[in-house]
Amino acid sequence: MKVQYINPFLQATTGLFKDYLGMDLVPEKPYINTDPTRLGDVSAIIGLAGETTGAVVLSFTRDSAIAIVSKFAQRKYAALGNEVIDGVGELVNIIAGNAKKDLHDFKIMISLPGVVTGSDYRIHWPEGIPVVCIPFKSNFGDFSVNVSMRDII
Amino acid sequence: MRILIVDDSAVMRRIHKNTLLENGIDESSLIEAKDGEEALKIAIEEDITLFLVDWNMPRLNGLNFVKEIRGYSKYSSTPMIMITSEAAKYNVIEAIQAGVTNYVVKPIQGNILWEKIKKYL
Repeated sequence: MKVQYINPFLQATTGLFKDYLGMDLVPEKPYINTDPTRLGDVSAIIGLAGETTGAVVLSFTRDSAIAIVSKFAQRKYAALGNEVIDGVGELVNIIAGNAKKDLHDFKIMISLPGVVTGSDYRIHWPEGIPVVCIPFKSNFGDFSVNVSMRDII
Repeated sequence: MRILIVDDSAVMRRIHKNTLLENGIDESSLIEAKDGEEALKIAIEEDITLFLVDWNMPRLNGLNFVKEIRGYSKYSSTPMIMITSEAAKYNVIEAIQAGVTNYVVKPIQGNILWEKIKKYL
């Protein structure tokens, strides 16, 4: 997976959290995630199809999901209820949709988001394509954006 | 005035609703639908003056909803703002060809969205 395909997701995430939500956001060094179970308590998944295939997973700890969706929805949530789940799905939708505008090599369609919760789940990523994890530190808690996308060549 | 907010995300519907309420729109003017199919049923029964429509939704997505609704003579020129995360240029072109009046990429601050909405009220 080409490095230049990571930047649009990095920029879309920064645009959403830092510019729109006004959160202090520090991206850490991206790495190849070789362990599909290495995700947080709440993960929102969106599939990519069209001229490439892949998936984007936005993953939070339980507390960071509640805090970040509270900020996004302008409402204080105390538990991981339906609206928080709905909110994390919307966040990954915004990141994937915004990243598309800078992925000039492909015409991509994005799926509806799905959300999984719990401590013991496994994402079945597209086979044979590396998963790049971009971890972020924020004043509302940590989260990561995980991207796996097939090169067009 | 009847404004129909169409979005499968309850959180997004509430964010849009708050923007309208904060700018003096009466709650009784607002109707919500969670997908294009539900929106179509409402639109047929009501006289909607402005549509705020998401793109990615189950059952009937926003793009196909716009195409369908433009086929009704009473909605041939009703303002329709698409509010979506679909930010690629080809998406904007496709939506305009389908008949949207304005295209807004999420996330958008409430005051900027309101500037776009108020032109049609």
